[in-house]
Amino acid sequence: MSVALALPTRRVEEWKYSDLAHALGEAGFGDETARVTIGAPPAGIEIFALDEPNRPDWIAAHYGKLRGNPVSAISLAKARGGIALRVPKGRKIADALSLEFSGNGHARALLVLEEGAELTLLERVGPETRNSGLEIVIGPHARLDHVRISPAADAVQVEEISVKLARDATYHGHFANFGARLSRTELEIAVEGEGAEVELSGVSVLSGERHADVTTHVAHDAGHTRSTQLFKKVLGGRTRAVYQGRVTVAHGANGSDSRQSAKALLLGDRAEADLQPELEIFADDVKCAHGAAVGDLDADSLFYLRARGIPEQEARHLLIHAFLEDAVDGIADMTLRETVRGAVAAALVAVTA
Amino acid sequence: MLDIKNLRVAVDGKEILKGLTLKVEAGRVHAIMGPNGSGKSTLSYVLAGRSGYDITEGSITYNGEDLAALAPEERAARGVFLAMQYPVEIPGVTTMMFLKSALNAQRRSRGELELDAITVLKRVRAKAAALNVSEEMLKRALNVGFSGGEKKRLEILQMALFEPSLAILDETDSGLDIDALRLVAEGVNSLRTPERAMLVITHYQRLLDYIVPDRIHVLAKGRIVAEGGKELALELEAKGYEQIVKDAA
Repeated sequence: MSVALALPTRRVEEWKYSDLAHALGEAGFGDETARVTIGAPPAGIEIFALDEPNRPDWIAAHYGKLRGNPVSAISLAKARGGIALRVPKGRKIADALSLEFSGNGHARALLVLEEGAELTLLERVGPETRNSGLEIVIGPHARLDHVRISPAADAVQVEEISVKLARDATYHGHFANFGARLSRTELEIAVEGEGAEVELSGVSVLSGERHADVTTHVAHDAGHTRSTQLFKKVLGGRTRAVYQGRVTVAHGANGSDSRQSAKALLLGDRAEADLQPELEIFADDVKCAHGAAVGDLDADSLFYLRARGIPEQEARHLLIHAFLEDAVDGIADMTLRETVRGAVAAALVAVTA
Repeated sequence: MLDIKNLRVAVDGKEILKGLTLKVEAGRVHAIMGPNGSGKSTLSYVLAGRSGYDITEGSITYNGEDLAALAPEERAARGVFLAMQYPVEIPGVTTMMFLKSALNAQRRSRGELELDAITVLKRVRAKAAALNVSEEMLKRALNVGFSGGEKKRLEILQMALFEPSLAILDETDSGLDIDALRLVAEGVNSLRTPERAMLVITHYQRLLDYIVPDRIHVLAKGRIVAEGGKELALELEAKGYEQIVKDAA
């Protein structure tokens, strides 16, 4: 197979805030295959290792079909192995499944939810330099709750998560990100079935000189679909957060409803936020709203809390937590919500120290 | 308890208070009345320690201590409470959680033991009923979506909970209808004790029908221009500020 495997440069519009080639240096991502492992799988999930022969039809039907960007094409070409998971028709899995990308190199995973299936997925990522691709196919009336936590790392990490939703399918994704030398999370969401619903939220809490780029593309290809996006960033030191969010509403996708919001709190003197929500609408009778805001803590709120006896440092913490709260409280699974809150609290200590 | 001497305060380089002198003893309720722009809110903010209010001359002594040298949170822990004219809305912090954080921060600062959530909840509930503050309000984000009356009732609930020695009420009557005003005033009156001093700042005489002060001071252009007993409020109502200020000159 011959593929043009060049990394994008900053001259490519979508990568102008994240200089991947520079961050990686000459070594690039290398040729290794990174690991994809899962925790004890709850009963009812089918698992298939992608380096084994005789892939079943459901993998052939879906694997490698959703790649959206050139970096993802590289992981597809180079990764040997990986994992494919399927939740069969009508199975509602109560316990969360954990999946982890670790090690250096390229990695791929595929998750298929058949009609009416339900799953909660906790995705973890190791601190190494890696290019991962996660494809998610959600069948009619199926629902996936996805929480991804990427701890602070000094590596270069790119992950494309591409999701396809059928009729009345639901995808809720939360992305807690604590930054890396370069971190890019790209969400490529194809809302293909009528009545499907997508809720994306995320927090980035960055200290030191870390970077976190969340780039999303939500394509409303069918009518009466809904999507919301809420991304909040708290930036200390000399960090940089990027949000590029593009929503497209295709011809005929009438009655679609989309909202996107990105906000950043700049606490570091040399922190930078680049927030770019964007809309392309080709349909009628569509409700779309988008907004972005960058600022510091509100002085009136800070005075109010202090005048009630709360010391300045504690008051600042309270307001930062409050700022992030609405991006976290949408996580449906209580245990995962608390896990994210814990990770956020720990990361904030480094930001405000 | 509170001894303000020849206080001059500037905001953004512009002098707002121009030599204000005022003494308030424990157990007394003093009212500060004055037209818009007279410096009423500046006085309340400078007492609570808001930044941006520069004391250029004079002193504020509170229980023998230089109040101006203390951070806002230190003043609160020592018993200074300002019921604000415009309480802020803070999404993401529930009212109950805020009350617990504030109460425990004050206790910690005084070297007292912190209270657990249940104890705080019981104390809050015991005060909330009389002020018609519902359980539902306590669960909501602080002041978010509260009506003007609800915000003011929550300010008075905090005053009841924190049990300050010196309570400053900044335009607590503004934006209230007569029923809400009565409720808030009853709450304030129930907190009058021989140990507690209050400074009631208001534009209108109306509030003083319900919270009857021991002494009234008229503030105009940054100075106290007239002083008297509670009957001064009625005179103001009849004559208007302009005449009183003129008479004083």
